[in-house]
Amino acid sequence: MIHPTSSRPRRIAIALLASIAVIGPLAACSSDDASGGASESGPLEVWTRTDATAAETYDDMFAAFTEETGIEIDHQPVVEFDTQLQARAAQQDLPDLLINDAGSLGEYVSQGFLAPVDRESLAGQEDISDASWDQTLGTDGTTYGVPFSRQANIVIARKDWRETLGLALPTTWQELDDLADAFATGDPDGNGQADTYGMAVPGTAQNGYIARWGVPYIWQAGGELLEQDGEGYTSVVDSPETLEGLEFIRDQFCTPGHVVPGSINYATSDIRSFQEGAAGMYLTGPYNFNSFDDAVGRENVEVIPMPEGPEGTTTFAEGENIYYGSTRERTDDRAALTEFLISAEGQEMGMDSPAAGGDGPFYSVVRLPVNTTLEAGEVYADDRWQVTADAYADASETFPWNINFIPFRQVLADGMNAMMADCESDLPALLEGIDAGFETELANQGLAR
Amino acid sequence: MIETRTPVAAAAARPRRRRTRDSGSQFESAVGWGSGPTPLNMVRTVLCVAVVLLFAVPFLAIMIGAFDANPSTTQLRLFPRELSFESFRVAVERGILGYLVNSFVILGGGLVLQLILSILAAYALSRFRFRAAGLVLGLFLLTMMLPEEVIAVPLSQVLGELPLVGINLRGTPFGVMLPVAIWGFSILLMTEFMRDIPPEIVEAARLDGVGELRMLTAVVLPMSTPVLGVATIFGFIMIWDQYLLPLIVANGPGDYTLTVALGVLRQDPEVANGIVLVGALLALLPSLIAYLLLQKSLIRGITSGATKG
Amino acid sequence: MTSASTPMEAHRVTDAPPRARFRARSVAPWLFLAVPLLFALVFKFVPLAEGVRMSFFRVQPLLGDEFVGFANYTRVLGDPRFQDAFSHTLLLGFGTTVGAMVVGFFFALLFEGSSRLLRAARTAVFLPVVTAVAVIGEIWRLLYIPSEVGFLNSILGALGIPAQPFLSDPGTALLWVGVVGIWTTAPYNMVIVLAGLAGIDRSLYEAAAVDGARLRHRIMSVVLPGLRASISVILTLAAIRSLRLFTEVFVLTGGGPAGSTEVWMTRTYSIGFASNDLGVASAASMLLLLATVVLTVVVRRFTSSKGAP
Repeated sequence: MIHPTSSRPRRIAIALLASIAVIGPLAACSSDDASGGASESGPLEVWTRTDATAAETYDDMFAAFTEETGIEIDHQPVVEFDTQLQARAAQQDLPDLLINDAGSLGEYVSQGFLAPVDRESLAGQEDISDASWDQTLGTDGTTYGVPFSRQANIVIARKDWRETLGLALPTTWQELDDLADAFATGDPDGNGQADTYGMAVPGTAQNGYIARWGVPYIWQAGGELLEQDGEGYTSVVDSPETLEGLEFIRDQFCTPGHVVPGSINYATSDIRSFQEGAAGMYLTGPYNFNSFDDAVGRENVEVIPMPEGPEGTTTFAEGENIYYGSTRERTDDRAALTEFLISAEGQEMGMDSPAAGGDGPFYSVVRLPVNTTLEAGEVYADDRWQVTADAYADASETFPWNINFIPFRQVLADGMNAMMADCESDLPALLEGIDAGFETELANQGLAR
Repeated sequence: MIETRTPVAAAAARPRRRRTRDSGSQFESAVGWGSGPTPLNMVRTVLCVAVVLLFAVPFLAIMIGAFDANPSTTQLRLFPRELSFESFRVAVERGILGYLVNSFVILGGGLVLQLILSILAAYALSRFRFRAAGLVLGLFLLTMMLPEEVIAVPLSQVLGELPLVGINLRGTPFGVMLPVAIWGFSILLMTEFMRDIPPEIVEAARLDGVGELRMLTAVVLPMSTPVLGVATIFGFIMIWDQYLLPLIVANGPGDYTLTVALGVLRQDPEVANGIVLVGALLALLPSLIAYLLLQKSLIRGITSGATKG
Repeated sequence: MTSASTPMEAHRVTDAPPRARFRARSVAPWLFLAVPLLFALVFKFVPLAEGVRMSFFRVQPLLGDEFVGFANYTRVLGDPRFQDAFSHTLLLGFGTTVGAMVVGFFFALLFEGSSRLLRAARTAVFLPVVTAVAVIGEIWRLLYIPSEVGFLNSILGALGIPAQPFLSDPGTALLWVGVVGIWTTAPYNMVIVLAGLAGIDRSLYEAAAVDGARLRHRIMSVVLPGLRASISVILTLAAIRSLRLFTEVFVLTGGGPAGSTEVWMTRTYSIGFASNDLGVASAASMLLLLATVVLTVVVRRFTSSKGAP
């Protein structure tokens, strides 16, 4: 017979001892601050947000830097960048340098991750345009990052399909629409099957993909998102111009064949329809040139200069900056690395152009160079890159980088996804919803005017 | 109690000729399929085939995609135009074998630890009556209820400096093995099944003077083979599929497991789809093989009926 | 295996004095539980406590967290999309649980047996469980392609049914995500039920036949009671996991279209992790934890074994 136990006091004692034994030292650990500055000598710790291929390009660059200056680099290619950065921040020990999305600047500043950049003291800083430098200002007017790479989205298209169908380059929205139609219905690959579509689109709201893809059409119609108003911002997204842009996008989704079926749920990593010869156009970044060329043949891949909307040809621009971790203080060494990375030599290595020779991996971590002494078209020996560079320089816009725009981007993406998912959707009402969402977020961040 | 000895003993005494054919007698299975071409068995065959097709076709697509020279993501292709090992070659070039090794190391240590801990906990919870038993099981279940993304950052801090001993587990397989060793599901599974062991057998052994540890190893465990098999295969899969934990524990891409590498490769636009399919194929093979091996514990023959009652 | 006890042995008294035996018994479970509890404490509860703490703060790892009281919680509870996500989670969870249980049970009955063919069939059906979720997502996206050339649509077309939008239509997307959930979970349940079936005394089937019982009665009075442990495990797991559903939905639809498949964790991901707002993410996760605990308690009450020690 098993007797019920009655040794309650003993159990409680055991439990208490166990918890004290564990929590005690843990509490002691967290209360003592790890000292901020790491070794003054030793390798410079650089984090990049890359996968294995891109990491190789960086490694080549860093190796060249070490050879020139003797400063060792500890390169950490990180995948879950933000999670791991948070973990390091919790230990009060950030890396010396971070190379990451330019759009993260506002958020990093608000978290105190970044040390200010002394622009004037950097050799070669004048080779970067003032416009680029302006993009790295925080809300307090201090420079918090160094421009490293930029890019603009362009319309990449199947040249062979267009020529088979005997069509000219589209120059307006209407012609773009016609081209999509032709790709869908004209059997451009000549295999007698209706298996081709107009454009590949990342339509999911996840990570803001649909917003990043579709915002050019809003801008091209004359719409805007947020407007700076003194110290704060107001939402100006709810306008007839924005509505026009959104209607154009929905027309594409709702005309059969213009958009690859199922796109409403696709993230960029899910899209291989261009490479597989299912889609004829894709508004995306130039870093895809290599994989597209490998898949369908370089002579078949062209860049269509952005067709003009009611108010222009503005496209979406993004980029990467070099940031300084605020807990480290190796000012001289990191300035030296920064100067190398923005120099023509460093930038060219980052572009890793096949045309320049070398042994690869030919994966550009610098897409469009920020160093104005370099011409993208020349370095890549590819005038598609020149079209991209021109688009970036003449007609591109970014999301506001000096604030934490990601929640806004999510509101926009959620709204756009809802609009495109249902061909009967009430666009004005949904647009009002986006506007309201923007206002709420502005209040949340204390940016409301 | 129903008089059960004679028919079963007689059945056990009969020579078992048809081990490898369809289920021997009508009393082998819950539904009582029997053997031979009865109408019931024909219905069964049709159903089996239909279900297997439903599940197998998507996987044929993966397998074939791994060998396809031009794998497609816009069309499900079961008959590729061109077969090649190119995807495999590139995958090996990218170090897929190294990731595989990492996965196996973590799996080996983690699974053993997990089974030991689960058996210990389940034995305590199922064979002893004490008031806190429900609460303790609840605590173990609680460990499963929190999404791992939320505890990822605090957990990585704990792993960076282990309480009491202060060692840093990052960059070591132990950083993954130790956290996965405690798994509420495994404990739940074993607790529930161990509870169903008839008390008479345990009592009899206890009166023989069997101590607790021997009770566990000599009496309870042998009777728990089905659930041990299930816990093993599920534990295998759970550890094999770990993504976030190995990612935050890793000190560099060299520490990645296969699952992590797959996740990373998938997002790399340079990597063709075929390579991801190869990775997926390699990733599912070990689990599948383990499942094949462990199926034995799930099916009992006529003889095992004699141990109950 | 245990030796059969004779009536004489049952009356034998052990050598140890009653008092010592009592004390040894009351400590014994805790000795077994010590190590598992320690692991749970270090690797689960300590990070969990940190997660609870974070939910009351605006998390700023470097600048120092800012106490915000319940602000994170009100943000989550007041967000209409979170409210939608909650109802989707419940709907999806309930539907997938019931569906997967019924289908899993059916599969276990169908595939029970020791023949090689059956073993192969069980393995084929088990494939979804061993495959990486990302790959499953890709396969089903292919199957679900909304145009006429999509795999499922071509089959439907051959049967004269018009092409379905599947995941592209906000009205039906949730249903089809549920189908994938059932497809992935049913084999899991099948294995658990098979383990339970393996433990049923075969002689009971014979006895039931001797009593003239038909199939349905046999299932109701022999099989189902014998599966108490299995059903309890399946339902408990379902309660815990269904609310935490994330990766499958994330991979298939990302919560779209138009938020129609948004579940609690995908919303938490968008608002919390993607925006690096760990405080809100933790608050949302704590609320999830609370709901899961409540649900689990209810389920455990329902299915606890009557003779549990």
